[in-house]
Amino acid sequence: MAGLGTGVNLGIGGVAALFFKLKLRLIIGNLRGETARQIGFVFSVLAAVAVAVIGFITMGLVRLAPPDMAVDLVVIAFTMFWVAWAIGPLMMFGLDDTLDPSRVALLPLTTGRLAAGMFTASVTGVWPPVTLIITSGALTGIAVGATGITTGIVAVVLLFALCIVTSRLVTTALSGALRSRRGRDLAAVSVVFVVLLSQLPNLVVNQGSALDVPRLIGDMAGVLRWTPAGMAGHAIGAGGLVALAELAAVALIVAVFGILWIAALKRALVTPDTSTQAAGVRSRSLAARVLPESAFTAVVVKELKYARRDPRGRVGWITAVAVSGVLLFSISGQGGGAAAGAWLVYFPACLSALMTALQSANAFGIDGRSLWMNAVVYGTARDLRTDLAGRHLALVVLAVPLITAVAIAGALLAGDWTFAWSAALTGWGVFGVGLAVGSVTTVLVPYTTPERLNSFSGAAPGQGGIAFLSSFGSLLVTALLALPIALPPLLGAAWWSLLAVPYGLTAAWAGRRLASALGLARMPEILAAVSRPS
Amino acid sequence: MTDAVRTQGLFKRFGQQTAVAGVDLVVPRGSFAGLVGPNGAGKTTTLSMTTGLLRPDGGSIHIDGFDVWQDPVAVKARIGVLPEGLRLFERLSGRELLHYNGQLRGLPKPEVERRTEELLAVMDLLGSADKLVVDYSTGMRKKIGLAAALLHNPAVLFLDEPFEGVDPVSANTLVDVLTRYTSSGSTVVFSSHVMDLVERLCDWVSVMSGGYIVAQGPLDQIRAGRTLNQAFLDLVGASNSGSGSGNGEEGLSWLGSAQA
Repeated sequence: MAGLGTGVNLGIGGVAALFFKLKLRLIIGNLRGETARQIGFVFSVLAAVAVAVIGFITMGLVRLAPPDMAVDLVVIAFTMFWVAWAIGPLMMFGLDDTLDPSRVALLPLTTGRLAAGMFTASVTGVWPPVTLIITSGALTGIAVGATGITTGIVAVVLLFALCIVTSRLVTTALSGALRSRRGRDLAAVSVVFVVLLSQLPNLVVNQGSALDVPRLIGDMAGVLRWTPAGMAGHAIGAGGLVALAELAAVALIVAVFGILWIAALKRALVTPDTSTQAAGVRSRSLAARVLPESAFTAVVVKELKYARRDPRGRVGWITAVAVSGVLLFSISGQGGGAAAGAWLVYFPACLSALMTALQSANAFGIDGRSLWMNAVVYGTARDLRTDLAGRHLALVVLAVPLITAVAIAGALLAGDWTFAWSAALTGWGVFGVGLAVGSVTTVLVPYTTPERLNSFSGAAPGQGGIAFLSSFGSLLVTALLALPIALPPLLGAAWWSLLAVPYGLTAAWAGRRLASALGLARMPEILAAVSRPS
Repeated sequence: MTDAVRTQGLFKRFGQQTAVAGVDLVVPRGSFAGLVGPNGAGKTTTLSMTTGLLRPDGGSIHIDGFDVWQDPVAVKARIGVLPEGLRLFERLSGRELLHYNGQLRGLPKPEVERRTEELLAVMDLLGSADKLVVDYSTGMRKKIGLAAALLHNPAVLFLDEPFEGVDPVSANTLVDVLTRYTSSGSTVVFSSHVMDLVERLCDWVSVMSGGYIVAQGPLDQIRAGRTLNQAFLDLVGASNSGSGSGNGEEGLSWLGSAQA
């Protein structure tokens, strides 16, 4: 950079080159010295190449559909890309240095040059070229003749620019909010809703053999073709003056978004961080009043607060509720017969128990670096056992109503009330087994739950394998250990579920006993494992 | 009389790098001890091992005569810790954090509440006691961390860089509290880069460099007539006549407003 009087003034091309190199350096620097990350990167590049090839071919295969439907499909695909680009980087904010304009605020650059640089930085990477390749597949899919190809190329380039500029505009305009703690919390929780939303088409399609899929596509495309991305897609198929008008409109929108982005950038550079002047929290916890004063109660109260206040806690519970709902909904679609009735009720209840118990599989993960505060106090296995028991009770307070609700809803859907009590009992028992296994995995395979959740990994860099082992292992072992209480009711012996809760309680107690004995000796190692930078 | 802290041959490696290479740290009971050293000297690693948060590769640690790794119950009841990096339960309010810490240590609830309010008042945190710790500034976090470390009235207090990033007003509060605490016969061990502060507060100094203790003793003995800063630079071998490429003037000829 130029200093006082010396140094050269970089042109727009120079700035673009500089930011290109900066982004490459950041990607490389991120990989240095971490074998696991390097392997992860290689895999994501391979995945990207595969996605690009498959995507390109799929877009080309659209040609096999009737011409009208082919255009409709391209319109829908283009809109999906556009939406993905608008939302995706919001979830990634804070993971990529070139995305936050405040990091470059001190560089002596004009806003226009900065915009050029930031634009270059955001097209540098793995996924932008993938987008470009897949969308060009539409050329082979629906473009007809030389004019068609020309229109197509322009449309694809415009769509690419639209995607990038939109994502820049959204992140820049919201960067103030995203830098604040509350904004980041909100973004983290919103990941769940995006994932759920992406499941919506699945559910809709699952629901209906009655639904007319081609008509559905036609209807969707009829609306989406008026979005900027849809227009770009439509233009390729339309040709002629219509295409020209549509492309001009898209170009205009790109330009407007660009201008808005530069304006937002200017503002973001001089607007300070929205420091969170949070109002106080002062909640009289019910658990604190009901339970006797002890370390146990302290842990229960703290865990319940964390389930509410920490975005990771909220994400966990919202996911549990959502997954239970989706399960009920999709299983109920396939009912019929008395045996099926049992399945309909027991299966969702047990799965819901299994899913919620999974939150105990890495009980120290969310405490993370703060766990030292407990570690510096615990001197005996009994202390650690009390801690685990407190965490378990907090989970029980939240999970038991959920499992009960699933059991009752399942019984309602099956049309047989008698299932409700036995399914609830069985679910609670399975949950207890899950807690038992979870406390052992907590001390044996602990890992850091990153403060920034993203959809790719629930663990700190380099710990993805451990996280997989922990959650997959605990699911598998829990399922196996739960068979003695889950199987007989499924086969018709409803009275057997009376044994489920004692079985679950005994298992959870034994699990805590084993885990505390193992865990106390491993406390420094556990602390190190959950304190990884993420 | 047993020393408050005594380590022998304390040793820790991380991969290829030896972070602590045989440290014999001694802190007499009732002293206000400073652990000083350049970045990477091994101060944080030493303190982490001494407080039982990091497993040493070798050596022994005794606090008030109890072995940290053989007799953790006795040791953990006696120590208070403020580790590096302000690692606190972010989603509790300051008041909740102190309550949690007190109850975890088995103090009776009314006592915890009384001590919490007094500590919050002394630390000047009453106004933000109900804000989440995640929204605290650096100075506030150091103060609430110190309050949490003091809550159970430990015999020995370990503080890793307690004054780093703290404004002068908060630093003054911390100093007042710590001075009062040691004057009653309790022991403070803290690591710091700020020589002036160490010189002003401490009566015992341990100087670390490259994973070793290079000097240790009463402040006046270490100073030997110099300022502590000069003594420190002499000890770690970084004073003007020391190693390195000259006095660094050739390399920075463009720096400053003097025109060539």
